[in-house]
Amino acid sequence: MMKRSFALLACFVSVAALAAAPASVPGFSHVKSLGGFDEYRLESNGLSVLLKSDRTAPVVTFMVTYRVGSRNEVTGSTGATHLLEHLMFKGGPNFNDAKGNSVKQFLEGIGGNYNATTWLDRTNYYAEVGSEHLEGYLAIEADRMHNLWIREDDRRPEMTVVRNEFEQGENDPQQALDKEIFAAAFQAHPYHHSTIGWRSDIEQVPIEKLRAFYDTFYWPDNATVSVIGDFDPAAALGLVKKYYGGYPKAPQPIPTVYTEEPEQTGPRCVLVQRAGELGVVGVSYKSCAGSHADYPALRVLANILGSGKTSRFYRALTDKNLTTQVTTDAGFFHDPALFQVYAYLAPGITHEQVEKIVNEEAARVRTVGVTDAEVATAIGKITASVAYARDGSFAIASTLNEDIAAGDWTLYVTLPDAFRKVTATDVKRVAGLYLDPNKSTTGWFEPVVAPAAK
Amino acid sequence: MKSLSQLSVLLACGSAAGRALRSSALLSVAGCSLLVITPLHAGIAENASRQKVAGIDVVALKTGVRDVVTIRGDLPAGDSRSPDTNSALADLAAGMLDKGTTKNDKFAISKQLGDVGANVSFGTNSAALNISAKCLRADLPLVLGLIAEQLRTPAFSPEEFAKLKKQLVGNIRRAMEDVDSRSDIAFNNAVFPLGHTNRRPATAQFLADVDKATLDEVKAFYQQYYGPAAMKLVIVGDVDPDAARGEVGKAFAGWTGGSPAPKAAKAGTVDAARDQNVFMAGKASVSVLWGQATQLRYGDPDGLALRIGTTALGSGFTGRLMANVRDKEGLTYGIYSAVTNDTYADGDWRIGAQFAPELLEKGLSSTRRQLAAWHKNGITEAELASNKGKYVGSYKLGLATTGGMADAILNTMNRDLPLSFIDEFGPRINSLTLAQVNGAIEKHLDPAKMILIKAGTVPGAMPVPAPRG
Repeated sequence: MMKRSFALLACFVSVAALAAAPASVPGFSHVKSLGGFDEYRLESNGLSVLLKSDRTAPVVTFMVTYRVGSRNEVTGSTGATHLLEHLMFKGGPNFNDAKGNSVKQFLEGIGGNYNATTWLDRTNYYAEVGSEHLEGYLAIEADRMHNLWIREDDRRPEMTVVRNEFEQGENDPQQALDKEIFAAAFQAHPYHHSTIGWRSDIEQVPIEKLRAFYDTFYWPDNATVSVIGDFDPAAALGLVKKYYGGYPKAPQPIPTVYTEEPEQTGPRCVLVQRAGELGVVGVSYKSCAGSHADYPALRVLANILGSGKTSRFYRALTDKNLTTQVTTDAGFFHDPALFQVYAYLAPGITHEQVEKIVNEEAARVRTVGVTDAEVATAIGKITASVAYARDGSFAIASTLNEDIAAGDWTLYVTLPDAFRKVTATDVKRVAGLYLDPNKSTTGWFEPVVAPAAK
Repeated sequence: MKSLSQLSVLLACGSAAGRALRSSALLSVAGCSLLVITPLHAGIAENASRQKVAGIDVVALKTGVRDVVTIRGDLPAGDSRSPDTNSALADLAAGMLDKGTTKNDKFAISKQLGDVGANVSFGTNSAALNISAKCLRADLPLVLGLIAEQLRTPAFSPEEFAKLKKQLVGNIRRAMEDVDSRSDIAFNNAVFPLGHTNRRPATAQFLADVDKATLDEVKAFYQQYYGPAAMKLVIVGDVDPDAARGEVGKAFAGWTGGSPAPKAAKAGTVDAARDQNVFMAGKASVSVLWGQATQLRYGDPDGLALRIGTTALGSGFTGRLMANVRDKEGLTYGIYSAVTNDTYADGDWRIGAQFAPELLEKGLSSTRRQLAAWHKNGITEAELASNKGKYVGSYKLGLATTGGMADAILNTMNRDLPLSFIDEFGPRINSLTLAQVNGAIEKHLDPAKMILIKAGTVPGAMPVPAPRG
């Protein structure tokens, strides 16, 4: 049954890959084609373009991914990437609320699904619209790459908006714990701080620093535009050239992040004590970059440990009423990040009990390994989830965005094959390599008793 | 990895906790469901075949998506069917479905699904047991078979029942940490009276009822309410509708029982505005819900008119609430207005937001100004025109996913509307006049009689002991 399903999926991928020849439009060089995607470079300014035409529904997703995220921030400007993302909706001389043609007004007038997100390695802006609206959106999106107003009068009210977003995150015990685990695990590398930033930086970052951030990173040669869905490739390239072609390359090289995290030489612990109901134990291990050859096996390992009722943590913890849930995540980022386990304690259960079992299970996969059957089940789940995540233009763009951020968009095409090739031997090897107690950071969220009733 | 839903309800999604939690967006949004589809101009009612199969109301629709199938279904065995003597029986019965059957234990079922990457889940809302599944095309017979096996022959193991009770208590206790969950249950209990379809059990009562529930009571609930009568099943995606119906027929042949939901009395409105604080220590942001019962179901004559008016007030960044309370004044990350809970019974109207404790009063004052002006003067012709485009466009995009399409079909069935309603949605919205919209706002809402819930570290509020399970 499993083999039949995967063969079907592979067949569709192959058919897509054999689709049309790349378009030839003056001003663009064709870089490569893979898995139904065609990659081009706008020669005048280095803008990367990814096209995937699928005309089964009259819907198109247009997305621009800037290769700048919170990893590009330093002390004093943490959260600046995200705050700037908010200011990108304040308009410029050509498109703004007063004129009635701002990005919000245009997209909501046509019922488009749109937003922007910021993360560790990237910032993206996107809209999913009826295909007849592609040019209208593309024109506004391109304009704000170069002509954005960045004004103190906009920053002030937007700062409190973002601060409330920060506050909403602080309400969640797991988010609060996650911030502290990353901060303890990364001492030098900028993954140390979260994308939302530190509260004092959100409140006080000067407008000049935000302007400098925009002037440094928002250039065509630091961006990839993706067009997915119902469009004609040559026409889409024509639109990209029309609206982005007038911008120059960045005047200075885009700064690179050269800081590497020093080797961790012993286990680290953090304790977060706040008002709450139930405890949480988080155990994180230093892992590899998303583009590293070990990532597929780590993803399979995460699945075996934490996905569904057949997983090891479910059997060892949740099924015994020690936890309400256990999640695992292999971490898919540009730089080496964390392999994370979060165990949510059931009422009356201690952190020590749960942490001990998490560590015992980790030791068991390191020393004994996993079975072929566990690997086959994990690959089945991952392969299906890949298929589900490719169902439509917006879903495709969302996944592609993270592959671009990880440094190689072709991971979108190559990772599914890599997952299918993972063996039990591979999983045991990466478990031994990465689930190293000396490279772990363990965090407890410990709820404190709320004030007594008056 | 988030997006703004049709009703501006803030939803979180993400495949992995760590990934979702560390990203920040302009505004939290949805966008988790499967995309692509049937051409939007195609007649859905014409293409979706609806037939009774083994006593179940089945709709199957083939769309343009490749290889993926989404299943949605429900039957009237939700929280409101729990007896007065124990409010937890519906949840406990639903919770036993994936804990093993008389043929397979829960691990064997989970392995069968996991090997082909399929998902099946059961849950409850106030009115119904909800069924949700996703699989690849080739695995539809297996998945339908397992759904039927779990619905028809749950093992009701005493050991699993004991575990489930503890899990349920843990989940409820954890939800009590969340300011939005706390404001939502308080708002529900203030708006809907006991006995109403939408009324949810109070948390303390629910925890006590979980504790005292017996397996025999859960089995009796199951026997009374589970069966094909009034069950609905929607199958959307890369399917052959005839073959899908055949598989449903095989899987459910011979199953009997079930009980259609009774018609419930409508919720009344309160006599005067009422404020209620739910104090929670140590919270950096306060959750606010503000609204009233509408006494309207989705398909009632003023239902769509009230929705369009509400969209103009509080949907998206161009709605009055976001444009003023967030964009101009910077008082909140998110604020919305919505008509909700009107699928199975008459529903509610609400404004939802979060404010920092020190900005709470300022935020409420700003919101009150917007609400008052909107209710007194209505919306403008320009707002009506732009919000028609927003609402229709958003609805159509929602249909461009197998999950969105399946939800739309199931909701339409549960609203007692014909499937042609989906095709007629655009023309119906576009035919609304300003007088109809503003008339609906004035007729069905009264800010002087709304309920205001504040959950979190509310300045000046007194702590109250939290219920314990």
